[in-house]
Amino acid sequence: MISRRALELATAVLTGGFGVAVVVQSLDNGIGWSSAGVDAGTFPLLTGTIIVLGSLYNLVRGVLPVASLANVPIAITQIELRRLAGLFVPAAIFVAAIPLAGMYVASALYVFAVLAIPRHQSVPRALVMAAATALALYVVFERMFQVSLPHGALAAALGF
Amino acid sequence: MDNLGELLHGFSIAVTVPHLVLMVVGVLLGILVGVLPGLGAPNGVSLLLPLTFGMQPVSAIILLSSMYWGALFGGSVTSILFNIPGEPSSVATTFDGYPMARDGRPTTALATAFGSAAFGALVGVILITFLASWVAQVALAFGPAEYFAVYFLAFASFVGMGGAAPIKTVVALAIGFSIAAIGIDTVSGSVRLTMGVDELVKGVSFVVAVMGLFGIGELLVAVEEEFHARAVSSKIDWREVFRAVGRLPRHSVALLRSAAIGCWMGITPGGPTAASFMSYGIARRFSRRGRYFGTGEVEGIISPETADHAAGTSALLPMLSLGIPGSATAAVMMGGLMIWGLNPGPMLFVDQKDFVWGLIASMYVGNIVAVALVLLTVPVFAALMRIPFVVIAPLIVIICVVGAYSVSNSYLDVVMMLGFGIVGYLFKKLFYPLAPLVLAIVIGDKAEDAFRQSMLMSKGSLGIFFANKLVTCLIVAGVALLLLPLVLQLARLWRKPAAPATETTAQEKVII
Repeated sequence: MISRRALELATAVLTGGFGVAVVVQSLDNGIGWSSAGVDAGTFPLLTGTIIVLGSLYNLVRGVLPVASLANVPIAITQIELRRLAGLFVPAAIFVAAIPLAGMYVASALYVFAVLAIPRHQSVPRALVMAAATALALYVVFERMFQVSLPHGALAAALGF
Repeated sequence: MDNLGELLHGFSIAVTVPHLVLMVVGVLLGILVGVLPGLGAPNGVSLLLPLTFGMQPVSAIILLSSMYWGALFGGSVTSILFNIPGEPSSVATTFDGYPMARDGRPTTALATAFGSAAFGALVGVILITFLASWVAQVALAFGPAEYFAVYFLAFASFVGMGGAAPIKTVVALAIGFSIAAIGIDTVSGSVRLTMGVDELVKGVSFVVAVMGLFGIGELLVAVEEEFHARAVSSKIDWREVFRAVGRLPRHSVALLRSAAIGCWMGITPGGPTAASFMSYGIARRFSRRGRYFGTGEVEGIISPETADHAAGTSALLPMLSLGIPGSATAAVMMGGLMIWGLNPGPMLFVDQKDFVWGLIASMYVGNIVAVALVLLTVPVFAALMRIPFVVIAPLIVIICVVGAYSVSNSYLDVVMMLGFGIVGYLFKKLFYPLAPLVLAIVIGDKAEDAFRQSMLMSKGSLGIFFANKLVTCLIVAGVALLLLPLVLQLARLWRKPAAPATETTAQEKVII
């Protein structure tokens, strides 16, 4: 269970962290005025500072009980969290597998795993759908639009 | 009446067999992405973008804009029949559209929605026809300072009128600007904000951001709640279609008011979503039958639909004549324009007459095509919604992954896209607005260049932003919009000193 407050907090910390990174990096590019006009780091410094200040405000706003939205205490329930993970974790594994297995094999495995393992579809149907997905990708991208999708280290090792 | 002559010329470009075919394809694809949760107009258009590189710019923009119309219509179909908004901008349509359909009048609800949507779009296109070239002419005299002032005004109006919490909008905008700055700086040539990752020298493409924010993010929001695609009957009774459209003129006040709200929110980048909510809220307050809203009121469908489409259409006006897109999808299209080698802004009306007027003429034709196609295909797309979400979700993930990869054949883009997905989910969940973020990524560089060029001209003095009446007015209006939420807050405190400060915005109230 994740409370609305925790979620606000986490997001504000995330945006604020990005802001700090932008500020720190922009200092490398030089800020202020030079012979060539406004230095390259000035604008990012400005936006970074705005992000940090805005995030601080949102942080305080999200944590203080005066905000009426804090009356909606639970943002994500246990069941919702499980559903989120059910979508995101396989997707992340799929993306992580692309460099090794290649886009075609990885997406076929992904479709098969997502459909067959939680028994949403029967194994043969999931197999067909997985194969169809990979084939459709190949036909549309490699053939019709001549865009080469990554074939993966495995395929390279096998000599494709 | 120069415009009408140009428009006729535009029709001679738009109404050709290849372009009509492109419109049909675009509208159908648009309805598809509009119907599917997780895919929306911004992703749909960015997915198609790489496929248009080999086309003539005018053909490409006709395809993409037709997809945009299709998506706007498709979002309403699922709102009315399933109570699931396919697009954020059609959330307000569910309030009265679904109850009416549930009470056994789905055809009336759909026909009313499409009829008023077509009216809204028509008003938007007429506005573009007569106003766009005039705005462009004025803008031809703009220097960098004026441009920066216009950008500033556009961003300020997000904060002042976007409908989300003002500071959250500011944070979203600033993050967009920072992302736009990543990579090689066009003025000095130095490398910025790469966080030590060499591959980031190429910058972060807006397509990658859109795929993650709108695609994966929306998918995560959608998966949270289980889908009950309990559809009401999706059969279309054609006689009722004409009767419902025939009844529309009785609500001409609501139609005109909503169209005006929509056009205003589209030109000043408030976007279609904010426009439809605002229009619904105002209609509920002013309609004599306001207390029946939410139970299937006709005006409760007319108001958000008209405003949604009027805003979606008129969002192209500032994109064409100033180079400032009025909505997230318009921002993606503008990114496309730049990739095709066109320079969005007033010079389009001088150098690319065929392109501009072909597009404007195609908007008239495209919307008619869209209304006809959406009515004809309602049963087909309604059947699509019966495919279980668990089957559609992985396919959408794959589409987003491939879409992000194919921008520049980079695996890093795919990983970033997934990261943007988490950000998109968090932002949606906590009501941070996404449109300003995308807008800032697309035009952040141009805004920064305008600022630095004006600084060069004035040798570092901010006085250049108050050098003449026009630029002063724009800056003052921008500052006023920025301060508007603060003033409203203070006014509320003044009236009721004991009342607790509320952070709830109009949209959130409706959702909660």
